[in-house]
Amino acid sequence: MQAQTHRLRLFWRLLAGQRLVYACATLALVVASCFLYLVPLVPQIVIDGVFMAGEGEAAPSRLTAWAVERLGGETFLRQNLWLPALLILAFSAIAGAFTYLRGRWSARASESIIRRLRDQVYDQLQHLPCRYFDQAETGDLIQRATSDVETVRTFLTSHVVEIGRALIMFLVPLPLMLSIDWRMTLVSVLLMPVIVGFSVFFFLKVKSAFRQTDEAEAKLTTTVQENLAGIRVVRAFARQAFEEQKFGQANTTHRERDFRLYRILAWFWSSSDLICFLQRALVVCAGAWWVATGSLQVGAFFFFITAVGMFMWPLRQMGRILTDLGKAIVALDRIGEILGAARESAADQVAAPGPETLRGEIVFDRVSFAHAENSPVLREVSFRVPAGSSLAILGPSGSGKSTIINLLLRLYDHDAGEIRLDGHDLRELDRAFVRRQMSVVMQEPFLYSKTLRENLRLARPGANDEEIIEATTVAAVHDSIQRFAHRYDTLVGERGVTLSGGQRQRVAIARALVKAPAVLILDDALSAVDTDTEAAILAALAARAGHHTTILIAHRVSTVMHADQIIVLEQGRVTESGTHLALLERGGLYARLWQAQGEAAEDCERERLAGLAARAETAPP
Amino acid sequence: MSDVAFQEDEYHRQLDLALWRRVLRHARPYRRPLLGLSVAALVVATVEVFFPLATGWLIDEAVANGVSGRLYALAGFYFALCLLLSVCIFAFISFAGRVATGVAFDLREQAFTRLQQLSFAYFDVRPVGWLVTRVTADVSKISSLLPWFLLDLVWGGSLILGIAVAMLWINWPLALIVLAIMPPISLISVFFQRRMLGSSRLIRKTNSQMTAAFNEAITGVRTTKTLVREDEALREFQGLSSGMFQHCMRNALQSAAYLPMVMSLGSLGVGLVLWRGGVTLGSAEGSMTLGTLIAFMQFAAFLHMPVEELARRFTDLQSAQAAAERVQSLLDTEPAIADSPAVCARLAAHSADAPRDDVAIDGFSPRIERIAFRDVGFWYKPGEPVLQHFDLEVRMGQTIALVGATGGGKSTIVSLLARFYEPTEGRIEVDGVEYRERALEWWQSNFGIVLQSPVLFSGSVRENIRYGRLDATDEEVEAAARLVNAHGFISELSEGYDFDVGERGNRLSTGQRQLISLARAVIADPQVFILDEATSSVDTETERLIQDGVHRVLEGRLSFVIAHRLSTIRAADLILVIDAGRVVEQGTHAELMARRGRYHALYVGQFTRQREQAWLAGDATPSKAELR
Ligand SMILES: Nc1ncnc2c1ncn2[C@@H]1O[C@H](COP(=O)(O)OP(=O)(O)OP(=O)(O)O)[C@@H](O)[C@H]1O
Ligand SMILES: Nc1ncnc2c1ncn2[C@@H]1O[C@H](COP(=O)(O)OP(=O)(O)OP(=O)(O)O)[C@@H](O)[C@H]1O
Ligand SMILES: [Mg+2]
Ligand SMILES: [Mg+2]
Repeated sequence: MQAQTHRLRLFWRLLAGQRLVYACATLALVVASCFLYLVPLVPQIVIDGVFMAGEGEAAPSRLTAWAVERLGGETFLRQNLWLPALLILAFSAIAGAFTYLRGRWSARASESIIRRLRDQVYDQLQHLPCRYFDQAETGDLIQRATSDVETVRTFLTSHVVEIGRALIMFLVPLPLMLSIDWRMTLVSVLLMPVIVGFSVFFFLKVKSAFRQTDEAEAKLTTTVQENLAGIRVVRAFARQAFEEQKFGQANTTHRERDFRLYRILAWFWSSSDLICFLQRALVVCAGAWWVATGSLQVGAFFFFITAVGMFMWPLRQMGRILTDLGKAIVALDRIGEILGAARESAADQVAAPGPETLRGEIVFDRVSFAHAENSPVLREVSFRVPAGSSLAILGPSGSGKSTIINLLLRLYDHDAGEIRLDGHDLRELDRAFVRRQMSVVMQEPFLYSKTLRENLRLARPGANDEEIIEATTVAAVHDSIQRFAHRYDTLVGERGVTLSGGQRQRVAIARALVKAPAVLILDDALSAVDTDTEAAILAALAARAGHHTTILIAHRVSTVMHADQIIVLEQGRVTESGTHLALLERGGLYARLWQAQGEAAEDCERERLAGLAARAETAPP
Repeated sequence: MSDVAFQEDEYHRQLDLALWRRVLRHARPYRRPLLGLSVAALVVATVEVFFPLATGWLIDEAVANGVSGRLYALAGFYFALCLLLSVCIFAFISFAGRVATGVAFDLREQAFTRLQQLSFAYFDVRPVGWLVTRVTADVSKISSLLPWFLLDLVWGGSLILGIAVAMLWINWPLALIVLAIMPPISLISVFFQRRMLGSSRLIRKTNSQMTAAFNEAITGVRTTKTLVREDEALREFQGLSSGMFQHCMRNALQSAAYLPMVMSLGSLGVGLVLWRGGVTLGSAEGSMTLGTLIAFMQFAAFLHMPVEELARRFTDLQSAQAAAERVQSLLDTEPAIADSPAVCARLAAHSADAPRDDVAIDGFSPRIERIAFRDVGFWYKPGEPVLQHFDLEVRMGQTIALVGATGGGKSTIVSLLARFYEPTEGRIEVDGVEYRERALEWWQSNFGIVLQSPVLFSGSVRENIRYGRLDATDEEVEAAARLVNAHGFISELSEGYDFDVGERGNRLSTGQRQLISLARAVIADPQVFILDEATSSVDTETERLIQDGVHRVLEGRLSFVIAHRLSTIRAADLILVIDAGRVVEQGTHAELMARRGRYHALYVGQFTRQREQAWLAGDATPSKAELR
């Protein structure tokens, strides 16, 4: 019940702004169907009032007599039969005009609603917290945003209208039918309850079959999706047969479910059609009987046959519409789940006048965080980075380095402790503001399917070409880009596949550099970059030191050793912190890492000294 | 923009009959249900012609003779028609279901199998989402269209024919008058359906753009957030959704105008029957009765339906043409990299033999002894050579390291080796045999590859590692994990080896993903290892531990290691320095250091900088003076 009212409310809200248009469409529909029923009335009047005048026992109805009178009398009509023909055309045309208006208005209303719905879903998706995406599957979300919205659209554009039409088409002719012949009216609606009842029964019956088919289809889609997303791994391990077998299962299940649905539909359609045909047969036979016994006029009989045809077919559609309604409800629920999820900024309490800009002082004060209960990722992490200085984070895989960045960017909210930016509690700052102050290169950079220039300009829409080239030069990717046939207009494909790993990373670095942020964050951003380039990038960053606070995550001691402050993270805890030298003295993990590289370094040192000696020999002072 | 091969293909205005003939071939196994379908459709059409006739006979009988035996017989006939019609409806839906689901199943299976064979180059330019749509939505569209199209073709055609014959038989002058409304109805149908086809194509195109937009919004959500470009992205999206609104409106208006017009023409037919038929009704000359008049009016009112339906189906056919083209072209795409006919012949010749340990499936030796690149050249796109005149000869048991600047072509070399791409020039030889003459399946099953960007499948850690060798036991999985130093963190995960890694493994950190993909390669027990920056996101200490473990594994195998951290490759038997697609230096660490070239510079650069920094910071080991 609760769910029902919730749904209705969601639906009602959807209609906001378009309710009047829908009302107009309904009105047009009523007018159109009135005229539609006038069309068979004309032959009825002509047959009973003109052709059959004087024959048979039954007298023409009052309506017929009146109409014939108005149209110029029986003899006049008999000589001018084009007049009723013209009337038929005219009524039909008027009905057509109103049908057109109805179509136009209901399309306007429903398409506007759907446009708004699509925009809402898109906007909502962008504002959902990252946690939401950890749980959700991309394919499923896309399904909701596209085919579910499409289901709602079909429902709004045609089914709402169809339901209205079925009702109106049924109700409008009733008075007319009653005024002509009440017995025939009764016969005409005799099986209607059965048809409607059968539809409802069917709807309840097939709901689960439809759901199962949908599930099988979703399974099929995810199987294909996952296979193709990982196709390079499939090939690297020559697992084609395994994948084909997996797909074969999903495919078979889908076929079975789908076929079962067809069988059910075959039963439904043939039975409900049978009821409809029987209804018409009843009218035809009962009418013929009464005509034979002389208590029904042929024209009236014709009218009933036509009228039954007109209101029966829309009603017959009810079964399908109900199933579609069922689907639409499910779709609406699924969309509602997205729209109803709390936005990431929902519970934010932004302190009224935030700061204008940040200098970039960052303080972590006993910050803890967990993705799932009882498996903490960060435990009481504390550190302080003065504005303009640099912090390097080092630690084994999974120790929580990226998580620190995620918290700082408020992609996730920490569970305990406090993060302060320039002395402001992070939670009291506007998220967008905080993010605008920071420039980040993620561990796995994402490039949009746009051109390189567009991708680079995203960080700062106002950036001109010189600034972009400056950034790409620092990131040492300008030369590579120049070598592409389309240079900066090269389209970076889905997820940037046509760039090499290092190129992609460097484009992301350049993108971060285009902006002049208060805080620059590089999360393992130099892992796929060769050492020369790395040195160049680090040197360029060093030249900008003091302008912004830098956070650098890396796995090589050589990368992080220049930092003003280094912290070592192990299993979510800060185990060491200090400068390079201080950490070396402590003899912990950092020193061990240093050692690991040191061997190589010593070896190299020997080489260097040997080189010096050689040079000394060849070129004496 | 050359790489838009996947974008919506251009549409042909005309029906491409050759294409549909090819598509129809997929329905060949379903000839029987298709035949049943056609028969059912024929019966339905016939019955529908008889309904108005029976009504007319009933009326004439009732008016002329009152209640009579014939009246009862006719009523019985009418009810029998109803029953027959329902049975036929049941039959054709069942038959259509058999065909639609069967064709869909076959097409999907073929398309999926084909996708498993196509080369990497095919996937480079086609987004995953686009390909998924081919296998799912496009196939549905074609497979459900086929039976319904046939049904409506038979039904509509025979109904029009049946009505025309019946009317001409009974009263040909009046029949001609009614049939006169056919040409305008057809014309209007063609006119509007053309237009609707145009707008519905625009709708579909915008729709797929919107799907791509959603995909990007979701996969790139973190980047969007950090760049604070939500509003801008929404604006871009609104451009699409407004376009969609316009196309949908246009389509809706077209169909809103079309139906009333056709209906009015039908009414015109009814009016004409009433007028012209009414005139002859009284006169003695015609065979016109009231029943006939009513039957004719029903025919006239009904006639537009089959025409409309036929027109709609042809539009469907045309609008499904793009889908058919895409699916068919997927099926027709020959894998660029596949066994040559000669290899296939050899495979066939040896498949009869019992599998032997000393003979590979293609009849050669299953052991790899030597691999040689001979003057290999390669480009991804013509005019942009990535690799030129590349020569290399390696022997089993060696470890070959590839170093060099980003974008130099290191990953490309190993892709060529694994035959993910084939050289555009030169040859790669395995024990003296060009590798294109060996079986692809055999060749690729000898590799254990860790790709530069680690991809995991959703599922448990265990399933992911076991992907390397499907019959590995739990113990072997664990042993592999231990070897690459992943056991530690795995056992700390909440469910250990059963931990669900999430979509693409996104519930693990990047380094953890690398370790698991490394374990996956180790467990495969291959002859050739390829490690493309396999430990780039792993700290130095772990890397050392891994090296010790992997070193044991690598013994006696051939391995290619790509790394930017030179400390990891010092022990390699052969180091190649790659720059802009050429080998600029090669040799062992000692040789290269002695040569004092590029490698020396790289190596020394990497460590002296480190040392210098340390000295500047006050590390006392060598004196500052020494630095000068
Ligand atoms: N699938 C592809 N299609 C087109 N061009 C490509 C493709 N893959 C790589 N390239 C281009 O080929 C060149 C070599 O790329 P490759 O991936 O081999 O470099 P790499 O040496 O592995 O670099 P990195 O160290 O950055 O991984 C680059 O310029 C890259 O842009
Ligand atoms: N979305 C998530 N859901 C559940 N657990 C997660 C999620 N993301 C990360 N984790 C877990 O949190 C821990 C810390 O991950 P994080 O990405 O911060 O590691 P990291 O220090 O950056 O490692 P790496 O050096 O490999 O990048 C890991 O154990 C990881 O499994
Ligand atoms: Mg990380
Ligand atoms: Mg590479």
